[in-house]
Amino acid sequence: MAITEELAALRDDTLQRIEAAATTDELDAVRVAVVGKQGSLTGYLRSMGSVPKEERAAVGRAVNEAREAVEAALEARKATLSAAELTAAIDAAAVDVTLPGRAQQRGTRHLINGIIDEVSEIFLGLGYTVEHGPEVETDYYNFEALNAPPDHPSRSMQDTFYIRDLSGGESAVRGESDVLLRTQTSGVQVHAMEDNPLPIYVIAPGKVYRRDVADPSHLPQFHQIEGLVVDKGITFGDLKGTLEFLCKAVFGPERKTRFRAHYFPFTEPSAEVDVSCGICHGEGCRMCKGTGWLEILGCGMVDPNVLSMSGIDPEEYSGFAFGMGVERIACLKYNVPDLRMLLEGDMRFLRQF
Amino acid sequence: MKVSLKWLAEYVDVPADTKALCDRLDLTGTGVEGVETLGATFDHVVTAQVLTKEHHPDSDHMWVCSVDVGELNQGEDGAPEPLQIVCGAQNFEAGDHIVTAMVGAELPGGVKIKKSKLRGVVSCGMNCSERELGLGGDHDGIMILPEDAPVGVPFAEYAAMTDTVLDLEVTPNRPDCLSMVGMAREVGAMYQVPATDPLRGDAAKLEACTAGAPVGESVGIAIADPGRCGRYNARVIENVKVGPSPAWLAERVAAAGARSINNVVDVTNYILFLYGQPLHAFDYDQLKGADGSVQVIVRPAADGEELTTLDGADRVLTSDMTVIATPERAVALAGVMGGLDSEVTEGTTTVLLETATFDRAHTSRTSRNLGLISEASMRYERGVDGNPIDEVSQAAAALLAEVSGGTVRPGAVDEWPVHVEPVELSFRLGRFDAMMGAQIPADFVRDILRRLGCEVRATADDDVLAVTAPTFRPDLEREIDLYEEVLRLWGMDRIEPTLPAGRERVGVRRPAERVRAVLNDTLRAAGLNETMTYSFGEPGDAERLGLDPDALGLAVEVLNPLNADQSVMRQSILPGLLRAVAYNQSRGVADVQLYELGTVFSAAEGRQKPRERAKVAGVLAGAMHRAGWNQPAVPFDFFDGKGVLESVARELALPKVRFRALDAADAPHLQPGRAAEMMAGGAVIGWVGEVHPLVARAFGAEAPVVAFELDVVALEKAAQPARPYVDVPTFPAVAVDQAFVVGEDVTHEKMAQVMTSAGGKLLEGVALFDVYRDEERVGAGKKSMAYALTYRAPDRTLTSEEVDKAHERLVKKVCSATGAEVRA
Repeated sequence: MAITEELAALRDDTLQRIEAAATTDELDAVRVAVVGKQGSLTGYLRSMGSVPKEERAAVGRAVNEAREAVEAALEARKATLSAAELTAAIDAAAVDVTLPGRAQQRGTRHLINGIIDEVSEIFLGLGYTVEHGPEVETDYYNFEALNAPPDHPSRSMQDTFYIRDLSGGESAVRGESDVLLRTQTSGVQVHAMEDNPLPIYVIAPGKVYRRDVADPSHLPQFHQIEGLVVDKGITFGDLKGTLEFLCKAVFGPERKTRFRAHYFPFTEPSAEVDVSCGICHGEGCRMCKGTGWLEILGCGMVDPNVLSMSGIDPEEYSGFAFGMGVERIACLKYNVPDLRMLLEGDMRFLRQF
Repeated sequence: MKVSLKWLAEYVDVPADTKALCDRLDLTGTGVEGVETLGATFDHVVTAQVLTKEHHPDSDHMWVCSVDVGELNQGEDGAPEPLQIVCGAQNFEAGDHIVTAMVGAELPGGVKIKKSKLRGVVSCGMNCSERELGLGGDHDGIMILPEDAPVGVPFAEYAAMTDTVLDLEVTPNRPDCLSMVGMAREVGAMYQVPATDPLRGDAAKLEACTAGAPVGESVGIAIADPGRCGRYNARVIENVKVGPSPAWLAERVAAAGARSINNVVDVTNYILFLYGQPLHAFDYDQLKGADGSVQVIVRPAADGEELTTLDGADRVLTSDMTVIATPERAVALAGVMGGLDSEVTEGTTTVLLETATFDRAHTSRTSRNLGLISEASMRYERGVDGNPIDEVSQAAAALLAEVSGGTVRPGAVDEWPVHVEPVELSFRLGRFDAMMGAQIPADFVRDILRRLGCEVRATADDDVLAVTAPTFRPDLEREIDLYEEVLRLWGMDRIEPTLPAGRERVGVRRPAERVRAVLNDTLRAAGLNETMTYSFGEPGDAERLGLDPDALGLAVEVLNPLNADQSVMRQSILPGLLRAVAYNQSRGVADVQLYELGTVFSAAEGRQKPRERAKVAGVLAGAMHRAGWNQPAVPFDFFDGKGVLESVARELALPKVRFRALDAADAPHLQPGRAAEMMAGGAVIGWVGEVHPLVARAFGAEAPVVAFELDVVALEKAAQPARPYVDVPTFPAVAVDQAFVVGEDVTHEKMAQVMTSAGGKLLEGVALFDVYRDEERVGAGKKSMAYALTYRAPDRTLTSEEVDKAHERLVKKVCSATGAEVRA
């Protein structure tokens, strides 16, 4: 048989085997056997030297033709087989998408600090800065500089934890001391007025302490957010507007606020602020004890004595201050049934927020 | 302060709508804490008429009566039916109108009326005496009503006894409101209606009951320190018969929240509630000296002086307290409470009536020092007006004489060393409006101030009012005090809300705040949940941590703790967190990841204020999560805690972070070998480790617990605002894996240091990917450490020759510096 005939037979046979290959592996085996380094067709190319000169051109052409045909067939068959294999692989890889995912657990912010963050953001937006003060205060910053001199009756409104004074100081009342756990964040007002240039727009969130036995509605330590503004031309209307803005931002735009005249030693005029009850919308229910209102903060215009004691001229400057209980807001927003849960560290409670 | 609306109505028009009144009181500054309807205790007590009265078959002194209660008792056919009542009283006849307590009634004192049998005869109720109804009364017989009294109506209704009593929260600046007269004035101002003050009229009644020798002949007063007692007035009432109060007086006193005691004490309480002036009635004979005269001395108590007060308590006094004394002994604690041995008793015939003012501060301290708060001390510490004292004394003496049948000796001894003058103030209408942000009419301002007791006059300047504040309002000292009065009565709800203008300010977080925000965020991203624990510590927490008692500094001591286990301030956050771990574990929650950022406290001898330091601490127990279908539960160990700190270090861009092993002496609270100190830029930041199993157990927690505590201020100092920029590589890297066998004492830190310095500029990264121990293959006391090294040049593609050369040098240096061998 002439070489060209052999080549034709090899080509046809190879094309058949390509067509018959069922997998890409079988196909590759054909490729190696025919056009691989040791392949049968490759062998013809290698032995071209032994082909008589006059036949070389024809044989060369035939070999190349056969190779092109085989390679084209290999390519085509490979595409078909790969596509089928991919489809099969995809089918096999299907999962039950309702199985749980592989999530990374993120921790949670404590409810109280979450509220402090929220309120801080509101006031940062209004141009306030955030200040912090010490939790152990002297009598001066907690009471005296806030217009509650020793023996002022307002002092008995707050049950104070006293700290042993190691400087040898003695208090006029047995069992009391000039050093105490702050009963209110209001002392930060005084620090702010002493330390900051005017005008002052600050809030001061922080922990405060009062001698209440822990029970579902009391804790001996809780949090307040104090606010202080001192500027020229500050009015009672500004105080109202600021706190109404706050209440709507925290509780929702549909809530109303109400100002009740009250007494605090360091503000005058003073008021307590109620927000309309979110459960009964002012009709009166158990949550609001039938009044339709929930008390949320105390406030007032900064007393001129307090300004003067901090070296600010009350004829030139006026201001307002307010303080709110954070736990109170937490209870109103989330119906926490027992305040002690805030201090227990129960994972099942903390992970809810 | 309890305010009977029936009583209040004698001095001012009280609105019929109690709810509206309460709302208005609330809004104008007098909180309403409770509303009580009196007369409710008289449920099932009715007016009745005796129909028949017959001897009890088995008793000489009891009667079987048929009592008509009208429609209130009905027979089976629904028709009115009289009650059969057995009664032991002797002062009534058939036909008398009486008061009957029917079955179901509960009388004052808790007596419950039930159907019963008295010596075999059924009794369906009780005919009541005044005493049984709590109305005082001076004999045991039943109460006989007038003949025209209706039959079968509730007694409270018949006697117009139903009264509404408001429990008011009077703020400490308003001593005037601790009186009916003051509340009447307040309500008058609230509604802009007239209020009357009965003092003049009451005082004028004195003349009719005056008799005997002038008081001054046998009574002397000496005030040792006018700073403690500004005025002391004494009157003497003779021929007093101490006994029950008349019904009206007992009712008033009861409505104000006091117990009716006897006519003399009730008068002093009545005057106290009416005018806000505390009084004290002494038994004159108990004060008398040998010569028959009374010398009243107001003086400081001697330190250690003893006095038994009216409540029977023995009090040890200090010189800061003031006593009323005779030359021999103290007889009362000034402004707070009388003494037991000079109190008015049934045998008292002559009364010395004290009407005085005592210093606010001394009274407040005395009251707090003794834990003794009385109606008197509450008023004195807020301020009692000394000016009307003589008139109040006259009114009280006249009433005392009236209800006790006594006579009042002419005149009074009235020592008055300190006169309080009214305060003169200006009211700038323009400034007021500017400060309130409102236009409030001048007419309103004038009217309100006058109704509150101020004198208001015009001045040459139309914008300025001259105001004289009354002495019963010690809180009206400054112009601003007047602003408050007008604003609260004008109504805060009428002020237009505005926001302050925003010039010259921006709201920004301070750098320290930002560091804390990043810290919080990083810890939460690491899976830790923020918690809060008590700032109080339990004494012994340091020892429980295995530390010396003073290792964390002197504990800060709370002088008046709520309980012994909260009597100091915490020195570390760890104990609180370990208790939280125990809390969770004991409730079946095994996986605990908590952190807290808070304050710890330490004291130092000679320093007034303790040092406060912000710390952040965390605990990890169990695993990050339970085993899932596609991921196993990996129990927490040291490296989870360290990983948290590495994240913190990365996020805060801390410079030169290293961890140093802590031994048992450095950190007794941690398990040795699994404890490290974190440093950044040479400064100590805190520690991380597995809590020593014994320490965990001391707090009730089950080991292992991984924990850390960092100093927040040190973090704030070390934190960098940003890391420096490094060019993103443009040429390829060559990766070489290399394992070394080293002794157990060679640390990863050492290996990394040597490799970094030996690798020079071409070594870009060193990552440990395996630590392997095997006695046979690696050798005893040795470990194999496998590192993935990355070589790269910033400006060219490295040739394999360059890499080989650099790597060879690195291996050689590591081996010589650490004794490592290359693992085949």
